[in-house]
Amino acid sequence: MMQPLIDPHSFDELQATAGADFVAELVDTFAEEAPRLLAELRSAQAAGAAERFRRAAHSLKSNGNTFGATRLATMARTLELGGLPADAAALHTLAPEIDATLAALRTLARP
Amino acid sequence: MSATTPPVDAGAFGRFEVLTAERRLLVDGQPVALGSRAFDLLAALVARRDRVVPKDELIEVVWPGLVVEENNLQVQISALRKILGAQAIATVPGRGYQFTLAALPPTTAVVAPRLPAGATPRPSRLLVADDNKVNRLLLCRSLELMGHEVASADNGRTTLDQLRSERFDLLLLDLEMPEVDGFSVLEQRAADPTLRDVPVIVTSSLEGAAPVARCIELGADDYLHKPVNPVLLKARVGSSLERKHLRDRERELLARLAPGLPNGTPPAAARRVEATLLLARLRDIDTLAVSQPAQDTLELLSHWSTLMLDAVEGHGGVICQMTGDGLTALFEATPWAAVQSALEMMELLAMFNAERAASGKPAVAQGIGIASGDVLTGPAGTPRRMAQACVGAAVQRAARLEALATERAVSLLLDDTSHAAVAGRVATRSLAPAVLPGSAAVVPVHALKAG
Repeated sequence: MMQPLIDPHSFDELQATAGADFVAELVDTFAEEAPRLLAELRSAQAAGAAERFRRAAHSLKSNGNTFGATRLATMARTLELGGLPADAAALHTLAPEIDATLAALRTLARP
Repeated sequence: MSATTPPVDAGAFGRFEVLTAERRLLVDGQPVALGSRAFDLLAALVARRDRVVPKDELIEVVWPGLVVEENNLQVQISALRKILGAQAIATVPGRGYQFTLAALPPTTAVVAPRLPAGATPRPSRLLVADDNKVNRLLLCRSLELMGHEVASADNGRTTLDQLRSERFDLLLLDLEMPEVDGFSVLEQRAADPTLRDVPVIVTSSLEGAAPVARCIELGADDYLHKPVNPVLLKARVGSSLERKHLRDRERELLARLAPGLPNGTPPAAARRVEATLLLARLRDIDTLAVSQPAQDTLELLSHWSTLMLDAVEGHGGVICQMTGDGLTALFEATPWAAVQSALEMMELLAMFNAERAASGKPAVAQGIGIASGDVLTGPAGTPRRMAQACVGAAVQRAARLEALATERAVSLLLDDTSHAAVAGRVATRSLAPAVLPGSAAVVPVHALKAG
């Protein structure tokens, strides 16, 4: 069975702790940061910069976990722990996953 | 921690209301800042108010599973008594403590002073270091909601800069950061005696036990995995801050016994430096001392010294001398640091007076003199009692300016050199020139525009 995009329990808890308005802003911040992290992953992969690649994947994983975006976090974790991939194919599925996650987060944050 | 506090009914006791579920204490309907251990202790005493509760039992409830010194309990008891009034918690020698308020009729229950809004304990200052913006914002937000003042840094280098230039009570440190990472921050902190006093909680999503072990070896207090669980965050932050405040109290006591040796650092060898001297003194303490019980005077001096020590060290000053009702501090950085320290002293005194007014005590006044120049500083005394010696015309000028401030009924006077260095940063006015030590003719002196 496929993992849900966002774990509703984690997201609810985040809203309860930090406030729904703040979480909506935080989602906006993530929407600005995520493409930057993706670009960093691509450029690090192209440059063969393993440490930069690992760090960007680590950041993405960490943010995914914060929002309860378990599927995205799992993908990012695989990249973080997997070492520098030989080609950019490993990143192909990541871009649509980020888009889908952001769309789902926006809906949850501002219903 | 809250999970181990036995359930109690929320109760009202005279002017006080204990809201167990919300973990809050209200005084006259207003929430009062209370540490998490203090709250646990209060809840435990309220729940067992039908009997005397042994100290061991209270320690087990408030610090479950931890071995703690009895004085930790006494500190918390004393914090509660400050808010509730001394009679609210009775000490039964050899047996323990008992919460007594329920037995008193509400109208006469409590004569304890109510803390005015401005005199509640100062919020703790926390620094959040994380290069990831989402994490940083969220952590800052969570800590602000707990009532702390929070600043942030987005890499290790600025973290160290901020720690060196401002006073913080706690650092929350991410490990993965560009330029200087969290491990390097811990290493540099461990090597720098001025930074070692700031406790560190590491927050990271690095996996495995190795990073945890390395952080603890490098002197971190605690380690929290991200995403940080809000309940754990609150508990760990509360516990670190309490330990920090206890250590601060110890350090203040030490500083009073052995002035000039903050943080237990060995004094530097004698040297000649360009520095700014600040001399602050409580006014009319002799008059006050004959009109009130000796214990009150000692308490007043102790509170005042503690506050002023904070204001000195918070701006990088070193205490050269403490005399109970006065202190001399040396600022090697800039005259501006000394002036900022003086401004904070004045602010703290206003808060202190508000607190005194609330308990029906008279306000106290202080005078401050600031002078800059060449001074000789270094360790002096015997091994049993060391002091930071400070000799030079600037020292005498600062002392004379403090006395002159009293004569001219202003709170702060600056010499010309200090004034020139801070011009434009604070509004001042020039007073009639005066003869100061080290100058043959009269020289200008400057006061603050407001007071």
